[in-house]
Amino acid sequence: MRAGAVAVTLPTMSAVIETRRLTKTYGTVKALDGLSLTIPKGGVYGVLGPNGAGKSTLFRILLGLIRPTDGDATVMGGTIGDPKAMRRMGSMIETPRYPPFMTARQVLTWLSLAHGLSSDTNRTDRWLERVGLTQAADRRVRGFSVGMLQRLGVAAALITEPELIILDEPTSGMDPPGIQEMRALIRSLAHDDGLTVVLASHQLLEVQRVCDRVAIMNKGTLVREGTVSELTTTSERLRLSVSPLERAAEVLGDKGAVDGKALLANVPRAEGPALIRALVEQGIDIDEARWVGTDLESVFFTETGAVQTPEHDHVG
Amino acid sequence: MWADAIRAEAFRLTKSRTTWFWSVFFAPILMLALSAITSFFIKANEAKLTEDPKIQADLSEMLATVPLDLGQAMVTNAASLSNPLVVAFMLIGAATVYAGDYRWETWRLISARNTRTNQLLGKLAVVIGLALMAMLVMLISSTIGDMIQAGIFGRGLTFTMDAGDVGQFFALAGLSLLRIVQFTMVGLLAAVMTRSLLVALFVPLVLGIAQFFVPMQVLPPMGLMPDSWVSILFNPGGAIDSIKDLVKGGEVAAAVPDHVPVRAWISIILWTLLPAIGAIASFNRQDLSKE
Repeated sequence: MRAGAVAVTLPTMSAVIETRRLTKTYGTVKALDGLSLTIPKGGVYGVLGPNGAGKSTLFRILLGLIRPTDGDATVMGGTIGDPKAMRRMGSMIETPRYPPFMTARQVLTWLSLAHGLSSDTNRTDRWLERVGLTQAADRRVRGFSVGMLQRLGVAAALITEPELIILDEPTSGMDPPGIQEMRALIRSLAHDDGLTVVLASHQLLEVQRVCDRVAIMNKGTLVREGTVSELTTTSERLRLSVSPLERAAEVLGDKGAVDGKALLANVPRAEGPALIRALVEQGIDIDEARWVGTDLESVFFTETGAVQTPEHDHVG
Repeated sequence: MWADAIRAEAFRLTKSRTTWFWSVFFAPILMLALSAITSFFIKANEAKLTEDPKIQADLSEMLATVPLDLGQAMVTNAASLSNPLVVAFMLIGAATVYAGDYRWETWRLISARNTRTNQLLGKLAVVIGLALMAMLVMLISSTIGDMIQAGIFGRGLTFTMDAGDVGQFFALAGLSLLRIVQFTMVGLLAAVMTRSLLVALFVPLVLGIAQFFVPMQVLPPMGLMPDSWVSILFNPGGAIDSIKDLVKGGEVAAAVPDHVPVRAWISIILWTLLPAIGAIASFNRQDLSKE
């Protein structure tokens, strides 16, 4: 879906989150600029964007932590802050912190009580096991690493057994094995437990691996939305090694861009053969033709205009 | 629900041993130690003190080995359960409860599922519970101190407490509780306005010291006597002491001017309710994503 378009959901999908022209300004800065977004029920939904794109602001509004300047949103069928709707969702915003004198088990018991549940140790133990913190259950959180705090944050988001969880940077600060475990947990929650998981992440590869649908935000607006395969397929470009290059570029016009000694043609896959025929008919030699740019990273950098460096495996 | 907020806050407080030590146990232990040391000192200087013609009545009773009535001592102690030492250290616990969620950045974890008013009132209820605990431990400590003193001086122990004494005991204890709660209300407002535990701790302390000294040192030269509207409104601690004097009866009650009780109650109510209302109003508008 392109920027400015009204969010459309397939009729069979029911939305867990819907925002309508959501706007949030801080002084003269617009953190969200008329964002309309529909997040369907089920699966893992990723929200991508560079710093200042408005991801965290969106999450904070959805959780009732801040109020929008304009527009509105519904979460689990209720308005923002509706206690009934809030009881059906859990969240982890950035790296969570806890009272340092409490153990992991006590933190979950405390949150259970705060959410109107009993201090059932079976429930707390079950979620501690699910996030791999059983061994650390009785350790005080003041000694926890960032990764352990992230895991506890996910357990805390799940302690009320919600239908929707919102996770802001769930793998931040984790080591590679931890990231892999978290990825498996997130997919399991969505596909085995039937939860809807909405996450924001800077790790583009991570999002591509774990998410079913993705929204790309930039400067407080939605620039692209769709399934990962939709986004990556529609962003494919045909890379052509041709000579003479200048003549081929003229033929392609605004559909082509010079990339070193090759041309990148921005055309749908179905039009590829016709384009190649047209070039040959113009007397242009084609040494190689292949489809490139199929990863989410390429889509992200194209859509947000962020600067890509060779070392760039994630965005800031 | 309010009950959820109370249960969660109380559970968390029970796990903070540092808070319990400083706000509930430290002042009573210190007072007990000082009381015992004082008794030993007096006993060691008994001969010299007995010869002093200006000796105080209670000291005279102690040295004359008059039996100690623990029931009456408890009534007397109930009036001093909100002494400055208890109030100051109780403030550590109150500030931790009021500002803890800002300090640990945990508001975002608990604020989505309950109303903000419930959450703040939950904290208030837990602070009242903590103050009751601090008062109970202080009362036990004072009683133990009295018994140690009786043992040092060889005084017998008696216990008399009629219905009137029971009523007086609970009225004085209730007023002491009200003083502690009123004092912590300023801490609640400071915690919400500044999101700082240290400010929640020190603002009430500084204000309390000012409220004690200004009506005695600053206002009289301006023609404002301690029983004037301004003086009483400025000093809720003094206002509660006036009400306590009325409850004690006798000569102390007779010394309280007739116009003071109404002014005192207004001062107490204003200093208790206004900070609480201000804190709730401010908290309900607060951006809790910035902790």
